[in-house]
Amino acid sequence: MNALARHRRLTAIWSSEPGWKGWLSTVNHSDVGRMFIVTASFHFLVGGILAMLIRAQLATPNSAFAGPEIYSQLFTMHGTIMMFLFAIPMIEGLAIYLLPKMLGTRDLAYPRLTAYGYWCYFFGGAMLLISLVFGIAPDGGWFMYPPLTGRIHSPGINTDFWLIGITFVEISAICAAVEFTVSILKYRAPGMTLGKMPVFAWYMLVVSLMILTGFPPLILGSILLELERAFALPFFQVELGGDSLLWQHLFWLFGHPEVYIIFLPAAGMVSTILPVMASTTLLGYRWVVAAAVALAILSFGLWVHHMFTTGIPHMGLAFFSAASTLVAVPTAVQVFAWIGTMWKGTPQLRLPMLHILGFFITFVIGGLTGVMVAVVPFDWQVHDTAFVTAHLHYVLFGGFVFPVLAGIYYWLPLVTGNRRFFRLGKVAFALIFAGFHVTFLAMHWVGLMGQRRRISTYAPEDGWTAINLISSVGGFVLAFGLAVVLIEVVLSFVVRHRAPRNPWGSGMLEWAIPRPSAAYNFASLPRVNSRDPLWDDQNLPVRIARGEGYLGDPASGRRETLMIDSATAEPEQLVIYPANTRLPIVLAAVTGLFFLSLLLKIYLITPLAIAGVVALGWRWVWRLGSKQDLGDQPIGHGVAVPTIAEVSRPPGWWGSVFLLVANATLFGSLLFGYAFLWTIAPGWPPPAFIAPSLPTMLAAAVGAALAVAGVAIAVRTNRNGGTPVSGLLAAVAGALGLVAVFAMMLWSAPPAAGHAYNATVMVLGSYGLVHAALASLMLIFLLARHRAGYMSQRRRGELAIVKVWTMYLAGVTGLVVPAVYLPGLVT
Amino acid sequence: MFITFTAIFVFVMALLALSFRPVGNGVSQASGERLWIIGLGLIFPAVILLCLLAYGLWIGERLLPRSDADVTRIEAEARRWSWRFSYENDPRRSTENVLHIPAGRPVDIEITTADVIHSFWVPRLAGKLDAIPGHVNVLRIEADAPGTYTGLSAEFSGHGYDNHSFAVIAHGPEDWQKFLEGEQ
Amino acid sequence: MKDLLRILVSPVVWLASFSAIYALHGLICQLDPGASEPFGVSLSRITLIAAFVLAVLVQAGLLALLYSLRFGAAPGFARSVSRMSGWVGLVATLWTLFPTLAVSSCGW
Repeated sequence: MNALARHRRLTAIWSSEPGWKGWLSTVNHSDVGRMFIVTASFHFLVGGILAMLIRAQLATPNSAFAGPEIYSQLFTMHGTIMMFLFAIPMIEGLAIYLLPKMLGTRDLAYPRLTAYGYWCYFFGGAMLLISLVFGIAPDGGWFMYPPLTGRIHSPGINTDFWLIGITFVEISAICAAVEFTVSILKYRAPGMTLGKMPVFAWYMLVVSLMILTGFPPLILGSILLELERAFALPFFQVELGGDSLLWQHLFWLFGHPEVYIIFLPAAGMVSTILPVMASTTLLGYRWVVAAAVALAILSFGLWVHHMFTTGIPHMGLAFFSAASTLVAVPTAVQVFAWIGTMWKGTPQLRLPMLHILGFFITFVIGGLTGVMVAVVPFDWQVHDTAFVTAHLHYVLFGGFVFPVLAGIYYWLPLVTGNRRFFRLGKVAFALIFAGFHVTFLAMHWVGLMGQRRRISTYAPEDGWTAINLISSVGGFVLAFGLAVVLIEVVLSFVVRHRAPRNPWGSGMLEWAIPRPSAAYNFASLPRVNSRDPLWDDQNLPVRIARGEGYLGDPASGRRETLMIDSATAEPEQLVIYPANTRLPIVLAAVTGLFFLSLLLKIYLITPLAIAGVVALGWRWVWRLGSKQDLGDQPIGHGVAVPTIAEVSRPPGWWGSVFLLVANATLFGSLLFGYAFLWTIAPGWPPPAFIAPSLPTMLAAAVGAALAVAGVAIAVRTNRNGGTPVSGLLAAVAGALGLVAVFAMMLWSAPPAAGHAYNATVMVLGSYGLVHAALASLMLIFLLARHRAGYMSQRRRGELAIVKVWTMYLAGVTGLVVPAVYLPGLVT
Repeated sequence: MFITFTAIFVFVMALLALSFRPVGNGVSQASGERLWIIGLGLIFPAVILLCLLAYGLWIGERLLPRSDADVTRIEAEARRWSWRFSYENDPRRSTENVLHIPAGRPVDIEITTADVIHSFWVPRLAGKLDAIPGHVNVLRIEADAPGTYTGLSAEFSGHGYDNHSFAVIAHGPEDWQKFLEGEQ
Repeated sequence: MKDLLRILVSPVVWLASFSAIYALHGLICQLDPGASEPFGVSLSRITLIAAFVLAVLVQAGLLALLYSLRFGAAPGFARSVSRMSGWVGLVATLWTLFPTLAVSSCGW
């Protein structure tokens, strides 16, 4: 088979359905990545228009352009859209598109999940935009502090749009994070050990772990606040044992890592592009990786610095002030590694480099003002003034938008196969750079003069008129520059002007594939011996296309790639992907129905939607696997590996582990909230604790033990060639017993609306109930799979996955039951 | 602080500009890591940041409201969209949207709220502190001279937030005595 | 995976001890154990300092493990990065928790 025939055969296997219908059923990472990028850009446009409306309003004193009601919606939605509907999805889109190409593989770990995440984002974003169109958009600020956002002070549907819409969108972030983590650890080209990974993959690995541990507190907070709004569960109402500070903790536990979740991928792009622009390698690769890891974890110790004015004792402030200064050190390590890289090489002022310079100048200023704000007495003065607004725009625009623009111009030839023709880029850069600095330098200044954030207007006597006008003019120049970028990107798709392969002279794998990128990425999977394989072997693209790597023979007609051992990077499993399917969009739509029924308070539909999700989820997993043992499959070069159904740790096991990391963080945040209310909230202890029920506690212990032991026995007998049915039946009995335990717990609990304690007990019990029901369902699924012939001594992967979930259920039971009953036992 | 930071900014930008010199950059990997990453990336910011942190904590310590015989205590309760101030010497005496304080003496404001979160801020007298339902936060302020100062609420609280402000009147010793006796 | 754990462990332990000591401090301020002063220093400060010292010792122990032949990574990338992040954990513990020694405790 020659290279062209192989290309045609692989394209037939991997491409989406022709026409627009292909968008609905595609699961290919290049397609979904592009869909993410386009949708995120659209939201950037909407958020940008809102920013222009804000600047129009503030340009003159006593402006009657928008009243406070409209203005509150404008700034709330500007922040919300930019953070949740532009920045995070943009990162997801870029990484979905780029990661497999950089790692030398053909797709991400879970193609259908990629598509599901996209559709959740699409529908959730649509919900928020619709609220904006109808003028009922959220208006409590993007941080949504209760009690302002509670049902007493915000009775309308506005806030519900935020809580439900954003939670819906977060599903896509969690999906993407699980996917990236597993893909980076397990789906790489053979030979690519951790130390030979592209630095961008390291950054994305770190960011994915941050999303898994940073987003759950916000998701929990949103659930609790929505429960308070819809069912009067008083988590944040001080009269009934709640505390509004709990929201602030949960929100900023998410909110500060969020800033670094946005910054680190951008830093990864700078670390990737900058060395190529200077024709050299990155200075101090190991230092940069260590700095990224340090930054990621340190950023979780900063959340209270958003709460410096809430009356925290001075030593508490000192801890967080110290952590906030410390976090600047790994940032400095990266900045100086980049400058050192430029000194090491010979930098050239090409267009991506211009944007990186824009990034340097803007981000260094933003970082320095950030250090100022970390100093507590200074923060007391400027907190909630326009100074902070200006600072965060320097960090986010400088630290995110400039690198993304550099990245767009850098990878555009890969996407389009064309080079730019009209050369508008430098004009656009000049407009953006000048416009940005005029807007936000002015804003720093007016903030120091005392202009508060979020005021809809001001008086001429305040003396802020001229500065605000200058700031608004700058803002419009900036918008004009961004419009030019958009025009140029569209033109480069339209105007055919063939780019050479690897136009920037990079050494990385994404430039070794056909351009524009082919649906299958690599005609065969190369073996990698360094971080710059293209520099080692100029001929690599040709050898890949000729099928000289692994999996060069597409005879099977299946979508195949390799999983490797994460330490040695040797091939370990043969992955067979599912092909195009509408299942993701349908599942996302039904998930959306669930959220919509909560939003519109049509609770009759809610159980139907849940049943729909369960049925579709069943179908989702049922389609995988095989009814015969396939044995070890040849992958070329005389190597044979088992397929993913015939190993102990299949992709689903890895995905479950990391999904459970996120899940455990959510549960941990719930326990934290419980402890926080207990110690800090004024209305504690509650009038009465729940009387402990000995039979329930005993039943919980027996049920958990039975479930875990049953699965363990099933795994062992299956390994020894026996039938796992009896073990599974025991486990089902145990899990169903736990369903009964948690149902009893909820049944006997006092009315949840009475006190935050009762409400917390209800949420804890429901959490246990959901997990017990889920584990029961999974175990029953295994029995059905065994009956249908999908399981054998070799095909054991699904057992391993369900074992993880059952053990998690046992852990949850072991924490929920004491948390609910111990207080009653002690007092 | 501004001077130091401007200097750092200029220094970084100069390094950036110099990297575009046409020749003679030849930095080797090992010496490059030592100079750029350990020297400039680790030690340089660490020293500056530690100084800054120590300075900030020291100032913060000094601003703490220590117990003091001479201190006046005033309760401030925020609501949408007004402030009520009550004075310890006479619980029945309270003022709406005008805070009276003695000049030249430390005053502890005990801040709380009747509805949503607000923030007490008199820019010329002290930093801001939030009013949080169910909690009382204490802010130490002191006006050096008699006069009128502007006070603001600095936490978004809904549609009336723009004009949620109050006035602070600092009295000389005699006027303050008169105020306490109810003559004003 | 083990290499990844070696790289992450020290900073994650820092995060845990940092949060725990912050929570401990909040708890102490809430309970207000009063003015029992065994050695001229308040009991709450002694507790906090003990927790601080413990956190530093744990970090030092982790660093020693990362440098040991038995538990450390094989030579190469993972070894150097895991040792760097070990130092990050130790320095972060010293840097962010030293206020237990000097700063006044529960006042605003």
